[in-house]
Amino acid sequence: MAATGVGSRARDIFTALEYGPVPESHACALAWLDTHNRLLGHYVGGEWLKPEHRNAVSCRDPITGENLANCLQAQGEDVAAAVEAARTAFKAWSQLPGATRARYLTQLAKVILMHQRLLWTLESLVTGRAVREVRDGDVPLAQQLLQYHAVQAHAQEKALAGWEPRGVIGLILSPPFSFLDMMWRVCPALAMGCTVVALVPPASPTPLLLAQLAGELSPVPGILNVMCGPALLGPALASEPGVQKVAFCGAVEEGQALRRTLAGKGAELGLALGTESLLLLTDSADVDSAVEGIVDAAWSDRSPGGLRLLIQESVWDETVQRIQARMGRLRSGRGLDGAVDMGARGATAQDLAQHYVHEAQSQGGQVFQAGDVPSDSPFFSPTLVFGLPPAAPCAQAEVPWPVVMASPFRTAKEALALANGMPRGGSASVWSERLGQALELGYGLRVGTVWINAHGLRDPVVPTGGCKESGSSWHGGQDGLYEYLQPSGTPARLPFLCESLNYDTFGLVVPSTVPSGPETGPSWGMQSPRARASLLWALAAALQRRDTALASRLERHGSEPKAAKAEVEVSVRRLQMWGTQLQDQGHTLQVAGLRGPVLRLREPLGVLAVVCPDEWPLLAFVSLLAPALAHGNAVVLVPSGTCPLLALEICQDVATLFPAGLVNVVTGDQDHLTRCLALHQDIQALWYFGSAQGSQFVEWASAGNLKPVWVNRGFPRAWDEEAEGAGSELSLHAARTKALWLPMGD
Amino acid sequence: KGITTAAVCVYPARVCDAVKALKAAGCSIPVAAVATGFPAGQTHLKTRLEEIRLAVEDGATEIDVVINRTLVLTGQWEALYDEIRQFRKACGEAHLKTILATGELGPLTNVYKASLIAMMAGSDFIKTSTGKETVNATFPVAIVMLRAIRDFFWKTGNKVGFKPAGGIRTAKDSLAWLSLIKEELGDEWLTPELFRIGASSLLSDIERQIYHHVTGRYAAYHDLPMS
Repeated sequence: MAATGVGSRARDIFTALEYGPVPESHACALAWLDTHNRLLGHYVGGEWLKPEHRNAVSCRDPITGENLANCLQAQGEDVAAAVEAARTAFKAWSQLPGATRARYLTQLAKVILMHQRLLWTLESLVTGRAVREVRDGDVPLAQQLLQYHAVQAHAQEKALAGWEPRGVIGLILSPPFSFLDMMWRVCPALAMGCTVVALVPPASPTPLLLAQLAGELSPVPGILNVMCGPALLGPALASEPGVQKVAFCGAVEEGQALRRTLAGKGAELGLALGTESLLLLTDSADVDSAVEGIVDAAWSDRSPGGLRLLIQESVWDETVQRIQARMGRLRSGRGLDGAVDMGARGATAQDLAQHYVHEAQSQGGQVFQAGDVPSDSPFFSPTLVFGLPPAAPCAQAEVPWPVVMASPFRTAKEALALANGMPRGGSASVWSERLGQALELGYGLRVGTVWINAHGLRDPVVPTGGCKESGSSWHGGQDGLYEYLQPSGTPARLPFLCESLNYDTFGLVVPSTVPSGPETGPSWGMQSPRARASLLWALAAALQRRDTALASRLERHGSEPKAAKAEVEVSVRRLQMWGTQLQDQGHTLQVAGLRGPVLRLREPLGVLAVVCPDEWPLLAFVSLLAPALAHGNAVVLVPSGTCPLLALEICQDVATLFPAGLVNVVTGDQDHLTRCLALHQDIQALWYFGSAQGSQFVEWASAGNLKPVWVNRGFPRAWDEEAEGAGSELSLHAARTKALWLPMGD
Repeated sequence: KGITTAAVCVYPARVCDAVKALKAAGCSIPVAAVATGFPAGQTHLKTRLEEIRLAVEDGATEIDVVINRTLVLTGQWEALYDEIRQFRKACGEAHLKTILATGELGPLTNVYKASLIAMMAGSDFIKTSTGKETVNATFPVAIVMLRAIRDFFWKTGNKVGFKPAGGIRTAKDSLAWLSLIKEELGDEWLTPELFRIGASSLLSDIERQIYHHVTGRYAAYHDLPMS
């Protein structure tokens, strides 16, 4: 009889107590794909386009390999059409009042709520990630992003009065990045009044679904255009005239290549590179909680990359034992099964992981994987690699999903040296129950985001970004908004490309003299804002004492006597002004759902190189020196080529007032010095106010260590006007942000 | 078909009656007695020990004792250890469950330390609460105690059982607890010898689930015996 038959099954379940599958039905996802006859085109200008003679890439289920749909790949003309649609849309969209854009974003959040099941099912089906992570993490976060940016749009007219939207934004996403990364960039762009053309990986239906939802709701067609396309179409999108800014998410090498291709093309470039994060486990950590943090970081499908793990040697054995026990209980399975921890990511991700593991073994590392997984399985087991010698290439290379690479350290100082000794600087977590130690490590790490006793927390209010080779673009928070804004009245960015510029010979002078990097950077940054302020005031006073000498030098250079005197006066005032703006250390953000503050810190960049313009030899020099110093950087300046002696006069005062090595002035052939500084890998940022050719070279050369650059593209700047000479734009470029998360709890 | 509770827990004065009633019903379920001044534990040590001895004499085969919260809150760990050792001796062959009253212990670090001391002193089970505190068995407290059990097992090889009590009312909750034990300690702990749930209304909810499973209909309260 049915009851007893079923009854014995219940008894078996309670005897064995194994987890059963909790499959989510993917019927709604397949139904949506069916409405397109399983062939997805491009979503441009508010409608679906299916141009002829395009390749179609098949979107496959990562586990079964079954073909779910075909996605048409974009070509050059599609990109051009999309940018054109975005440009037309921009004219209307940017003129709308912020409140209208805010209303749109709020409605879009509701639409996403209505279609959330379709969204999470489609994403989990196609990418193979655990549905739990998509449903409970990504989709609610997408709604929160829309709501947060709606608020920002609403307040834009008052809060961001001197700023206007940039224009058309080109967004390029590489395979490991998901629809959520697209939302992180699309939301602030749309909120601020920009329009977006997004190029997504070849087989991604979810961004196309989002574009459809956004487009159906939009009062202006073409604000969000999405196309699938091959990676090499990225540079084509980036170079398209009309695109004012390019945001790129992908691997480091591709970011560098894009930076080189884009030099001189006029568009601003924002890079978010790499997928790896860092976890630092001290001996005063709650090890069990830290192990859960490791699971969150590498084995929960929340992040696209692997984890570099640093464990203090005294707790090495205990930690590794717990990690291995925990790995034994992780469940890999079909992403759509609600009872799994980790899904599959497809063949490319698997190959990457396999390659890394083999390399690590050949370089002397030991590999631990819990349980046996047959070699032809689509799943890759969670993997722990340890025992690699520090000089092994694998110890320096980026760790792919789902690998965790563990290394020991003995003291906190050594941990910082190991952590900061990587070329990447994305995100990190510090595990310690001692507040003082945790904060010391948190402040000392050169990364964009630090979590204390947690990992992988995200919120729209908190800016997320990186430094060094992780790229210096930001998403979320106020920093994320400025990515899509420019000071009001800035002319549209046109290409200033000089086709004939030879990168190998630009600025090359025989014999070449290379200035060595100054070494006082870190200690100056540690000085309190008041100490820096008083030094700037002292410099202002010194300039005041020299005012007649400086004015007469300016007159000899060709200025009118009154103008020369005015220039000196304004320079003195500027120094005082930057001194008075006691650069605040940062402020606290309130994050919903987190008990505890998040600090947004502004930290010095490090060594900042500045090539001063020829115009306004005194004023420009001072206007650039002051904010750089005020934010705690060490500076290398190349003064105006036509009148360098003014700067050298100021150096006499600088030598007596400032610590040695803090301010360095180098004179000589401007192009040659620019070449040295731009190629120098130990300079953290470069401001260039010279020729168009020089600007192009600087952009190209910065790809070496991906230093953020600010160039004038050959246009002069009105240094005497407050907005251009002393505005918040300078502040933005003179420091970098770090988000420090401090969850509460005992 | 052999689905029963693991034990029946009563106050010391009722142990005799309970043993007689179960014998008359032909049931071999053990009788557990709470002792040592349950639930507050604020009586003299002499009377607390005597309670245990009397309960064992009356026929209780399991004893649930309450620890002295004062000792935890003032950090007198050795004294706590000595007291529990004395409870252990007084129990003799009876099975000892030590109730930590975690809702009154303060921070989770205290819960961890108290758990370890209870295990070192020879408890067979550690139990979260009496069920009479304002905060009883919550998941954070449970995780701390389970990790203490696991650490103790890794260090000594002895398996100690876990019993959450208070606030567990539905069968669905009990499934969450089962999966927590499975995740933290593993399948070996999923037996009545190492995992018990202390609850009263939970029993009727489980009976209702079984009733529905067998008949396909939801039972009314009056269809099932009072618990």
